[in-house]
Amino acid sequence: MNPSNPPQAAEYGGDEVSAIVLDPGYSTTRAGFAGEDAPKSVIPTYYGKYNYEGKERLVFGDNMFVQPRAGISVHNPIGKDGIVEDWDMAEKVWEYSFASRLTATKPDNPFHNGLNDISSEELPAEMEVETDEKPLADTPLLMSEPGWNPAKAREKTIEIAMEKWGTPAFYLARNGVLAAFASGKASALVIDIGASNISVTPVHDGMILKRGVQHSPLGGDYISSQIRALFKKNSPQPITITPHYLISSKTAVEAGQPPQANYRTFPADRAPDASYRALQEERTLAEFKECVVQTWPGPNKLSGPGPRESQTKNSLAARRAVFGVDRFRVVESLFDVKAAIPDPDSPVPAPTQAQTLPEVIKASLAGVDVDIRPHLLSNVVVTGASSLVYGFTERLNQELMTLFPGPRVRVSAPGNTSERRFGSWIGGSILASLGTFHQMWISKKEYEEHGANIVEKRCK
Amino acid sequence: MPLTRQQASRNQRGRARAQETRDQLQPAKKSRGLVPGERKFARRNPPLPLDHFLYPGREAHPMAPFRDEHLVLIAPGSELTLAQLGLPEAYCPAKLRLQTRMFPAEKPGEYEPHRIRKVTTTSTSTTAPTTTPGASGQPPKEDVEMKDDGASAPREETAEGTEKAETEPEPAQEVIYEEDVMSDEGAVYPIRDGRIVNRNALFALIQHVYNLLSPPLHTPILIVAQPSWTQTDREEITRFVFEHFSTPGFAYVDAALATAWGYGVLNALVIDVGKTKTDVSAVINSVPQRYGRGIALSGCGGDAMTDRLLELLGSKGFTREMCEQLKRSDIAEILPPGTALPGAAATAHQSTPAVHPGESAGGNFAPTEGASDNNGTDEGVLDVAAIVSGDTSEYLANMEKDKSTGKKVDPKQPNAQKERASFQFEEFVEMENDAQAGGSKRYKRNTREITVGVERFLAATPRQRAGPLLSNGILEDIASQVQYAINCCPNDKRNELWSNIIIVGAGSRVRGFNQALLGAITQKFLNSPSASIFTSEIPSTFSTPLPTGGTNTPAQMGPGQAQPSLQHHPAAHGLNPLLVAATHNNPGIPAAPGTPGMDQGQQHRAGHFQGPTVIKATKFPEYNSEFKGRPNSNAPGASSGPGSTSRGGHGPEEAAFLGAQVCAKIFFVIDQGQLKTFMARSEYNEFGPEGMGEFCIA
Repeated sequence: MNPSNPPQAAEYGGDEVSAIVLDPGYSTTRAGFAGEDAPKSVIPTYYGKYNYEGKERLVFGDNMFVQPRAGISVHNPIGKDGIVEDWDMAEKVWEYSFASRLTATKPDNPFHNGLNDISSEELPAEMEVETDEKPLADTPLLMSEPGWNPAKAREKTIEIAMEKWGTPAFYLARNGVLAAFASGKASALVIDIGASNISVTPVHDGMILKRGVQHSPLGGDYISSQIRALFKKNSPQPITITPHYLISSKTAVEAGQPPQANYRTFPADRAPDASYRALQEERTLAEFKECVVQTWPGPNKLSGPGPRESQTKNSLAARRAVFGVDRFRVVESLFDVKAAIPDPDSPVPAPTQAQTLPEVIKASLAGVDVDIRPHLLSNVVVTGASSLVYGFTERLNQELMTLFPGPRVRVSAPGNTSERRFGSWIGGSILASLGTFHQMWISKKEYEEHGANIVEKRCK
Repeated sequence: MPLTRQQASRNQRGRARAQETRDQLQPAKKSRGLVPGERKFARRNPPLPLDHFLYPGREAHPMAPFRDEHLVLIAPGSELTLAQLGLPEAYCPAKLRLQTRMFPAEKPGEYEPHRIRKVTTTSTSTTAPTTTPGASGQPPKEDVEMKDDGASAPREETAEGTEKAETEPEPAQEVIYEEDVMSDEGAVYPIRDGRIVNRNALFALIQHVYNLLSPPLHTPILIVAQPSWTQTDREEITRFVFEHFSTPGFAYVDAALATAWGYGVLNALVIDVGKTKTDVSAVINSVPQRYGRGIALSGCGGDAMTDRLLELLGSKGFTREMCEQLKRSDIAEILPPGTALPGAAATAHQSTPAVHPGESAGGNFAPTEGASDNNGTDEGVLDVAAIVSGDTSEYLANMEKDKSTGKKVDPKQPNAQKERASFQFEEFVEMENDAQAGGSKRYKRNTREITVGVERFLAATPRQRAGPLLSNGILEDIASQVQYAINCCPNDKRNELWSNIIIVGAGSRVRGFNQALLGAITQKFLNSPSASIFTSEIPSTFSTPLPTGGTNTPAQMGPGQAQPSLQHHPAAHGLNPLLVAATHNNPGIPAAPGTPGMDQGQQHRAGHFQGPTVIKATKFPEYNSEFKGRPNSNAPGASSGPGSTSRGGHGPEEAAFLGAQVCAKIFFVIDQGQLKTFMARSEYNEFGPEGMGEFCIA
């Protein structure tokens, strides 16, 4: 399209209307209006399912962490590799992310009035009745996707946006590109440490270099599995994790002592599913990651034994435990596969050397033209919530220096927690509020003319 | 997209082009102030520099300055709507309090503030109930005064309905439109669970409030927004306000922020216990945090406690209304967790038969002898006409006096140790035998004493029929939400939030609620500072500086107010003082001999956080003497509607309204729009309601 011709207002919805930026991730889904500095709505991508009064009901949002439902089980529409598996549910979760806080179309619609518990059978029928009341009827939508999203999934995404939500204009952007924009770079090597994946995306002039996109499953959830393995082999007895919802009160104990707490019990027919407990345990582990886990600063590998410093931790089922050097070890296997704590029972397979971060970065750069490698290495952008593990960026810097001793390596990671967590959303917010971006939107008319395939041609 | 050699060679050119594009963008951004994002992005740092409010020397808004007495504040809630015109010298509880409900008018889509009943009568007499002195003019001041009583007293209100009736004094088969202020039949509740469920009814209510206040033309409006309102809701209200009123300026303030400012703090965790829900919001640097905010936690409001009481006492013949009054009475109390219930019932409280309704053997709740003596028939009858004729407050005051003298209080034993206690249950009973023309109704007020056992301490215990929720009582649910909300905040702010917990909302008026909630939070989440030498955590107070005398707090802006004393009270609110002392003494504990390398490692981890070591409530600033009164009375009006307004003082639970007054002062009078804290009419004309998002600070 010729950029000198201003697009027609009807094509993109006009610049009076703020677009909605939707950044779906494996762990959380972020949504908000373009132009703002942080997403207004951040909800877990997990959703709950339970039966009540003979009907299956769904619950979205973070309320399920606070108020458990009887017999609730937790599911995620997105697969471990970051690609959507359950499209019906993904659509509902995404819709909830903007309808609950941002748009709220019809106050009386039970889906949007926030009563939150909808039976999954009732919903589709209702949606059919309100064919003209689409949630995004007058708001353009910018969505993000992982760099390795297959063409089928991209087409399905635009189909949902156009047909189910009725958006007048749509664009699908790679989250690596957006994260680069968020730190003000058009070319960068984006290292995204997410919950289920770590990914390395080379971005050049606002385009991803597809051959260089690499990802591996050693994300935040992998760190959690390492922590679990660590707890398991704790002596004298293994540490069990009890999430907060099972504790009604606790008494402080000395480190290493058995916990003293009153636990809640549920009757068997009302007890939440194991998946719910696992998710709640993740929350406790997240606290553990925040205050105990540390990345070994290097430069030499973490190998020497001997306690260095000690930390205490209290919120594991009212337990207080001391962790020495182990708190470095749980993250270490992101860099050095030999440091992984073996746990044969874990559902997470043991990592291979090729999955470690240095190897992934190497593989990524190997897929990129040699001329631009130095440029990328001097613009390394770190994003993703799991990169907030203490000392992570320093270690990464260290590793990059070792791997690429020649060129200048510069790692830029925003110090602000929210900018690190919502990097790709913020990039989307910047992009969608730019005046010149308006020519990029895929309008409804174009979609109707060319079909879902247009997303492959336009959103490169 | 595979990288081609050509592309790589375009590297330089590409970069130049990017620069060019950026340059093109810059002027475009500036000239088109319309791109909604642009200015928002300029305000990248949400923390509001309150100091700016103190230096109003900058370019003022090009309009006549607003004056204190010309500000309209409206705080719509699920149950009550508070409103006020003008800021008094010392900020005080809202002058106008209305039930948040409307009634459908004859014409669909229109609403009336009271139920209008159509009465067809053949009587020739003039309409007795409508000949009110106030009917001819605008709503007079006393009308506003009467609002204080809410529905507690039947009263007549000037509205279209009465005027219609007046113009038709013809005999024979006339249709009288009669307002029934007592009835809530067919009522439409615009806000439920904090959410706007009927926007048109809410608009009608705002219109009604506006008419009652009848402000002058140059009057800006401030609305306290509930956390549940969506962006769209806010925009629609903006549109309504600008298009229906002549207001020159309009602003929102988030209820949580208003509460924090009412308490004179910038960082706080605000727990707003409402009627059917509770909102838990973390406020950091005057910005309510979005993530992890507990919006409308269902089943955690005052109604849940009433329901629990009903569940316990329903089998004993208690009605819901009785439970409601019991909850409001002095004898209902929520004991801190771990407190033993008085008497032998402590062990088996669920099964204890503890209700002894009066002495009468036959009737379930026949008025006791004493009660009927004290409040006999003569003052037990409320005459609508008598009240209408103007001496309402006197009338009711007399009754109140009579009632209070009849109370017998045992001063020795605290309530928490009494196994049984009794409260006065009051209700209005419509008198059947009364056949006054025009349909005026007479109400008899019955008072009787009801004795309740230890059930009165169990209002916050988990309910049996909680639906699908696995609730462990509202206190624990709220406590979980508090922890969730705080854990979603940045690490370095959490300690400050844990030690600045604010509990407001009408639901928190139940006696002992605040202490019990703090206790529940404490026992669930507190990490007591261990004496263990392995503890390497920096004591939590280290990163929590004391507020500096309030030089940059909004509260200071109030006219003629003393310097707020914002010092922390370490031993405030039922927290073990030893615990606090232990925290403060922590630095004195000698470091472990074997860990000399600790310092280096720990120094930069001071911000890292291992759960709260101090949990305490923010103290309500004492200079707000108007917000002192906090008597728990089961006012007689309680029986006339679902939780009507209670007379008497309003305490810190209405801090949001106090904060709204502070906000109004800052936004409209002191700041005058320099920080875009409100939207002026010219700006509305330019940006429309969608622009509102940029004109409120939270």
